[in-house]
Amino acid sequence: MSDIDQSDSPEQAALRAAVRDFAGRHADGSAPKSVWPRLTGELGLTALAIPERHDGMGGTLAEVAIAVEEFGRVLLPVPYLSTVLAGAVLADGAAVAFLPGIASGAVTAAFALTGGITATGGRLSGVATHVLDGAEADLFVTRAGGALYAVRAADVAVTPVGTLDQTRSQATVAFRAAPAVAVAGDAGRAEELLRVLLAVESVGAAEHCLDATVAYLKTRVQFGRPIGAFQALRHRCADLAVEVASARATARAAVAAAVSTPDQLPVLAPLAKRHCVDVFWHVAAEMIQLHGGIGFTWEHEAHRYLKRAKSSQLLHGTPAQLRRLVAERAGLT
Amino acid sequence: MSTPADGAFRGEVRGWLAANLADGFAGLVGKGGPGREHEFVEERLAWERRLGEGGWIGLGWPVPDGGRGLPWSQQMIFHEEYARAGAPARVGHMGEQLLGPTLLMFGSPEQKARFLPGILAGTQLWCQGYSEPDAGSDLAAVRTRAGLRDGEWHIDGQKTWTSLAQFADWCFLIARTDPTAARHRGLSYLLVPMRQPGIEIRPIVQLTGTSEFNEVFLDDARAAADDIVGAPGDGWRVALGTLAVERGVSTFGQQLGFGREFEAVLAAARRNHSIDDPDIAARIADAWIGLQVMRFTAQATLGTPAGTSPGTEANIAKLLWASWHQRLGELAVEVAGADATQTGPGYDLTDAQRLFLYTRADTIYGGSNEIQRNVIAERHLGLPRG
Repeated sequence: MSDIDQSDSPEQAALRAAVRDFAGRHADGSAPKSVWPRLTGELGLTALAIPERHDGMGGTLAEVAIAVEEFGRVLLPVPYLSTVLAGAVLADGAAVAFLPGIASGAVTAAFALTGGITATGGRLSGVATHVLDGAEADLFVTRAGGALYAVRAADVAVTPVGTLDQTRSQATVAFRAAPAVAVAGDAGRAEELLRVLLAVESVGAAEHCLDATVAYLKTRVQFGRPIGAFQALRHRCADLAVEVASARATARAAVAAAVSTPDQLPVLAPLAKRHCVDVFWHVAAEMIQLHGGIGFTWEHEAHRYLKRAKSSQLLHGTPAQLRRLVAERAGLT
Repeated sequence: MSTPADGAFRGEVRGWLAANLADGFAGLVGKGGPGREHEFVEERLAWERRLGEGGWIGLGWPVPDGGRGLPWSQQMIFHEEYARAGAPARVGHMGEQLLGPTLLMFGSPEQKARFLPGILAGTQLWCQGYSEPDAGSDLAAVRTRAGLRDGEWHIDGQKTWTSLAQFADWCFLIARTDPTAARHRGLSYLLVPMRQPGIEIRPIVQLTGTSEFNEVFLDDARAAADDIVGAPGDGWRVALGTLAVERGVSTFGQQLGFGREFEAVLAAARRNHSIDDPDIAARIADAWIGLQVMRFTAQATLGTPAGTSPGTEANIAKLLWASWHQRLGELAVEVAGADATQTGPGYDLTDAQRLFLYTRADTIYGGSNEIQRNVIAERHLGLPRG
């Protein structure tokens, strides 16, 4: 059911097939050291949306979204989302110096958007928390006073923290008069794009949860027949399929807005993040319930999806916060 | 993607609606539809003929069959503009959207020549005779019988939930023509004149107090021997074939209507300050988000060419909108508060009350939510039958 995305151009379909094939070989949630160099050097995936003059491929967020979705499908533990987003955000001014490194995969990035950072004379101070992919990042993108800055990891104190979702690292990052490169563009857009990519990633992951659950219901036999023949379970899967279809369409609309109608992002990004991650959460929770006891084991993959879903739901705007944000921005008050 | 041709077409639709939904027809804006089919009947029948004269019926039908052969995108534009203008709910949609496509797919050249022009002109109205008291979701259980005697079909039985039967000139129905064949194998698709002694129509008073639906009793009703679509025994295939090509082109107009209903609920919540309640505010936001999600889903799925997908897009869309619309109805009366417990004289309902009551049917008609889930489970997910 997830084999074709009819909105893909032929080039995008080829990209999707290549990324899915690559990601599928690491579907056990592991990512040995060799994965990142191949993902970047061989496949060039961090270069997708970087302009050609900065050693990139000159694509758009639409191509990046394909890779993000496919990595979400297997929860590939690589700092891809944060790094490509940095590539999209650091597109102007002095910050473009970082782009060739991002394009080649030599530099990984993380967004430090949570916490109070202040800027004085081009230097940043303060502590950022819940920095996704922060434990291994070479470069941090942060905001202070509504402006964006890029800071080298060597200039800050990074403390990795334990995470509920072990497929994505987090760190606490302390800035102590850290030298920073000012980035043109506003901080709000960076967080909206982050939300869009979290929505996209959630669609890939939710689709996998549904596919895996449906496959299990076709083979698991109880009471002398596949449990997928029981209407109580069939109907729940049908509802999940409807939700996943709606999430896919919503994420696609948000990506389209990011590419061509950015004025819609302030509403569409929180809307898409809320809807798509909520759907992911629901499918992941149902995945465990419909698998029964095996779904509650550490060995089974379901818990990784459940934990990713909940973590994505709670970061960069909880469902309640995002709903209020959408209501305010859409004028529903 | 909108082409220059689409833009020009949109202008043409807008211009025609502005010029024609005026004068004698100006009072029809927002009239008809669920819970209000009894309103302005004569005027709406005249409006059907006006649409036919303007060439706005059968937009997607092939040109040789009298249609305009317009692409899907322009059919969608027509429905959008029609809804945007608040043009009245259609009375002829069953002929245009169900029987017409069926005849185009399965009808003989004689049948097409005989019946399509009346549908296109808005002069011949049709109703659908599928459901029966004992054949609702289980449509193959129909018991109405038809036999060919003396060069005519003789039909006996009962149909129910027949929308607009009181206005219809003809009924397309399925009846059992082979009593020995099991289930769907012995059914045939017949075209039956409604105005004849063998047919009696009784309105069903719904929980809204109004009657959109009817019972239709057939007591030796007659149909001409040639008025069968497909061969005897083909009725199931013919009836389902139409549903398979119905790609939900009217969905976009429907969603504009939903948008207007949402705006009315929002305006009411602002007026009586119920929006200051965080729970109401949250549900209003959820309703708006749901509306956007439905729109994105319809855009992403319904526009796909037939045959490139599992074909369950319409089922997915139906589940989404029926449940959303029902929740909006519940929100509408809660926003109104205690006032929603009182009606005008003669059980005259407010828009909020009508929305609340009528949407209880949304999750039942046109395939109940449960049937939609069965279809999605089998055809989209490939889960085994129970």
